Amino acid sequence: MSDIAAVATGWGLTFVVVATYALWVVGRGKTIGRELGIGKRQELGPGSDSSTPASS
Amino acid sequence: MSQIPDSKHMTATLGTRILGSVAVAAVLLMTLLGLVVSPEDLVQGHAVRMLYLHVPSIWIAYAAFVLTAASSVLFLIRSRSRADGGRHHDRLAGSAAEVGVLFAGITLVTGMLWGRVTWGTYWQWDARLTTTVLLFVTYLGYLALRRLPADPIVRGRRSAVMALISFVNVPIVHFSVDWWRTLHQKASLSVGRRPEITGEMYWTLLYSTLTVTVVASWLIVHRYRVIRLEELRDEEALNALIASRLREDDVGN
Amino acid sequence: MDLSPRHELGEPDELRRKVHRNRRWAVLAVTALLIAAAAFVTAQGLRNATLFFRNVDEAVEQRLELGDRRFRLQGRVVPSSVRSESGVTTFQIIHGCVVASVRHVADPPELFTSPWIPVVLEGGWTSGQVRTVAGADTHYFLSDRMLVKHTNEYASANDQRISEEPPHDFLDDCPFDVPAAKS
Repeated sequence: MSDIAAVATGWGLTFVVVATYALWVVGRGKTIGRELGIGKRQELGPGSDSSTPASS
Repeated sequence: MSQIPDSKHMTATLGTRILGSVAVAAVLLMTLLGLVVSPEDLVQGHAVRMLYLHVPSIWIAYAAFVLTAASSVLFLIRSRSRADGGRHHDRLAGSAAEVGVLFAGITLVTGMLWGRVTWGTYWQWDARLTTTVLLFVTYLGYLALRRLPADPIVRGRRSAVMALISFVNVPIVHFSVDWWRTLHQKASLSVGRRPEITGEMYWTLLYSTLTVTVVASWLIVHRYRVIRLEELRDEEALNALIASRLREDDVGN
Repeated sequence: MDLSPRHELGEPDELRRKVHRNRRWAVLAVTALLIAAAAFVTAQGLRNATLFFRNVDEAVEQRLELGDRRFRLQGRVVPSSVRSESGVTTFQIIHGCVVASVRHVADPPELFTSPWIPVVLEGGWTSGQVRTVAGADTHYFLSDRMLVKHTNEYASANDQRISEEPPHDFLDDCPFDVPAAKS
């Protein structure tokens, strides 16, 4: 394997893996959000801990 | 920090959208610097460009595992005293560990490719490589433990203990190149030691480390929010079950 | 309110429990596999990792003890000593002012051509009269695997050229001279 091929494979694989993971995380958030019927404003992040689903 | 505006952008907020945009721009510049602007190495040639992925990846894996360990300690302390069981810390530990495993995996793959062209082999069981693969495997075990069905607080405590056990390996990985004879070179970036890297390469490496940190932060925030959504879904399912039983009781009476 | 499990619900409830059980077994199996993998990695690692290689000075000192055993030898390649003929590369490596003659019977990695590159060789001592820059020797190292041990020093290829000079301080205090490489 030449040095250029190794670099191209390494950088390419890294981009694909990180982008796939990012898309999976965002997609999973959307899927679960839809299941929950979230459409209104709701606190979810660190520091807030609302346990009431938005549209239950 | 984390309002969810609508179902279309479920885990995104203004803050994370700005962070995400900064991350994308930073990655583009990192690619330009790492693959085009920075020079070839005198000995390694183009293979040196693996440095800009490999070193930042392990740095962010270490940082994520530190965050996991710290959050696990806080969870263990607060899970008994807080009404919510301190689950915020458990979520943070879980999301950081997952991102840490991702980057530890990238470290291993980029390291193997780099090793093939410089050492002449993909893999050797030397101290640095062995302890790194062990780190990867133990944190995979941690993630598996988090998926075992159990009461959330009990599961959180078990995971927190596992996180602290796994963390013991982090300093061992880092110092393995100093403690034992390894094929792997010594640390490229160390606090208090003059870097042995030419200017442009050094600054590209520092910039890449910063970029990977921004990307990992974005991933951790989103993963945290997805874990929270998963919890909400479970709570919703439980509420629905209780409501249906109540209705049945009403009908029965 | 009755919160006891509803057996009369029959199939869906039964199915859910079964799925739950299966999932638990799957996760337990994966965890067991990961623990086994960790144990394997540790065993492999401990066997090889702590004394990954011997430096030339140590390997020469332990020659009797090592006999014809296989081990890894580390040192820097003396640039002026490299010869290649019909798939066999001969050269000398040096560490701690001790020199060993090497007969390598496989293709060396690409970076081997860099002057004074540190290498790790796999093989063993073999009897045979040889001459090195440090004088006569009764053994050479027969090697069939070479790994290049690159350092954490990086320099731009744009503004420097590969130096034929040995690394700073490397040959200080050595009681012999190392001839310069033919350029």
